[in-house]
Amino acid sequence: MKTIHTKRKIFLFTLSILCTFSASADEKYEQLANEVEALKKQLEQVQSALKEYQEESITKKEVQELNQKLEESVVTQDDVDELEKQVAEAGEWNSPNTLIHMAGYANVGYASDSESYSIGSFSPIFHYQYRDKVMLESELEIKIDEDGSTDIALEYLTIDYFLNDYVTVVAGKFLSPVGQFRQNIHPSWINKLASAPPGFGHDGAAPLSDVGFQLRGGFDFDNSSANYAFYVSNGPRLIAAQEHDDEFEIDGIEAEGFSSDNDGKKTFGGRLGFLPFKGFELGLSFATGKATVTEVELEEDVHAFKSLAFGTPGDEGEEIDLHDEVARDYDVFGIDFAYQNNGFELRGEYLKSKVGAADEGITASHGATWETWYTQGSYLIPNTRWEPVIRYSDFTSATESRSQQQWALGMNYLFTNSFIGKATYEFNDGAFDTNADEDRWLLQLAYGF
Amino acid sequence: MKLFNQINIEPSFKTLLFIAALFIGSNSIAADYPEKGDFQKGAKAWAENCVRCHNLRDPKDLRDDQWITTAFHMRVRAGLTGQKTRDILTFLQESNNPPRPIKASIKCSDAENKNSLTGQEVYEQTCIACHGKDGKGTVPGAPDFTDSKGVLSQSDEVLMKHIAEGFKSKNSPMAMPAKGGNPLLTETDLSNVIIYMKSEFKK
Repeated sequence: MKTIHTKRKIFLFTLSILCTFSASADEKYEQLANEVEALKKQLEQVQSALKEYQEESITKKEVQELNQKLEESVVTQDDVDELEKQVAEAGEWNSPNTLIHMAGYANVGYASDSESYSIGSFSPIFHYQYRDKVMLESELEIKIDEDGSTDIALEYLTIDYFLNDYVTVVAGKFLSPVGQFRQNIHPSWINKLASAPPGFGHDGAAPLSDVGFQLRGGFDFDNSSANYAFYVSNGPRLIAAQEHDDEFEIDGIEAEGFSSDNDGKKTFGGRLGFLPFKGFELGLSFATGKATVTEVELEEDVHAFKSLAFGTPGDEGEEIDLHDEVARDYDVFGIDFAYQNNGFELRGEYLKSKVGAADEGITASHGATWETWYTQGSYLIPNTRWEPVIRYSDFTSATESRSQQQWALGMNYLFTNSFIGKATYEFNDGAFDTNADEDRWLLQLAYGF
Repeated sequence: MKLFNQINIEPSFKTLLFIAALFIGSNSIAADYPEKGDFQKGAKAWAENCVRCHNLRDPKDLRDDQWITTAFHMRVRAGLTGQKTRDILTFLQESNNPPRPIKASIKCSDAENKNSLTGQEVYEQTCIACHGKDGKGTVPGAPDFTDSKGVLSQSDEVLMKHIAEGFKSKNSPMAMPAKGGNPLLTETDLSNVIIYMKSEFKK
């Protein structure tokens, strides 16, 4: 029994020791497990930070690759030129043989003599060009009459064939190349005053337009150049006024471009321009041919025009047969000049038109002469948009009541180079109690486009 | 049609409106004609010939294709030779582009490889037509470079910006096109011409 008790004690002792050891191992395990868990969290944080770092950073190689791509992506002028060239060649409509363009000008204003606002004109110019070979160009003049109706006139319509660098053939209705004002200066955005010089409008000394064909062009020399325009045309028509029972006198020249030649005799003319040095041009003009009376103004009714030859008899009175009127001599001579230098401009023009006498025919009478000239100076004040203008004109008409001397003063404001505001005052000296003797203000806005 | 009848417009005016609508509706195109002219001669011819009758039009007033018809119209009207017309047209077409920042238009490597022009060469080829041999200007709006308080008294940076991008003075009737209208000029060329103008004209 004692042995059994001893073994029992030994077993219990051993068990207690084992239990003690067992309790100690559990604590260490728990501690180790916690440490491992903490290390795992730290490792995850490090791995996450490393991953984030790797995503945000680039290598030197990647930097080089990016630089190369950046270099390749820079757009150079050559690249742009090449691209534009490719675009130009890409589509059929990007480079058509035919170009269409509308230019022109318009003006509105106020005149003190009529105390009225007015629409001067709207003048669209159509350009239709086939490559560099030929151009059709036409200008219309659209106006509103006092009664509100709209008038449309064909100012010119020509087909211009560019024969070579020095010659252009122009056919159709064209602005008269005699002188400078009519063919180049009359558009309202170009004319520096709000009115044309006396004698350069309707019923004046200068021919306005004609129907026929021209040869035009120019030549360049070392430090100078020249230009020319020569034409053959149907020529003008004449108006006769009845003075007494069977006496007539030539009242006016209608040189506004007729599409028929009533006397069958052509008019020849042209202008030769020289530019001997920069800024200066001198022009010589002429025209010669025949012209016939086609209308008469009767003494008893100055408003009744007779023109049986062309089928437009007057409203009242007897009919007059003008079929057998004699073709009279018609001659024009002109000289013009222009000088420009840095905003200063001086230009002038002289024109003389002469119609010969007729011994036969209903309107047989002496000849008649129209003479006009003007000189105009202007200066665009430096660093401003203001441009003062002064012009003197002297027009001597075969019809005395239309003769006029005029001083015109103007001040222009250039909103842009082709949009101009004009204030013009005319000091007019003409026949007593006529419009030609009345001073007036003209205000105008002119726009060229 | 009803509208036309109401305001009593003649049939010919209807036709006119129709034609006008066709013209107004035309789009920008890039024609392959006429053959290219000489830019420098064109600048000179433009400055000398257009003012014979009217104020100079800004090259940016019209598109390239519009300048073609306009130049040929003026060839007839002013009695220009074909070559002079092409020269003027080339100048106008190359001067109506919108300005580009210099950094976008040239590479440094290009500038290094290119033989830059001297300031005098740039001035005599591109600037002289409008600014004149004496720097006093030959066209309305061109400044007087000999004015001691004039445009050349500005800093090089300001002058560079104005020349590179084009500039229009407050009261000038027209603008100078970017790079004087010559897009081939580099930044170095522009720097050279600024140095030349200041040494030659500034009192």
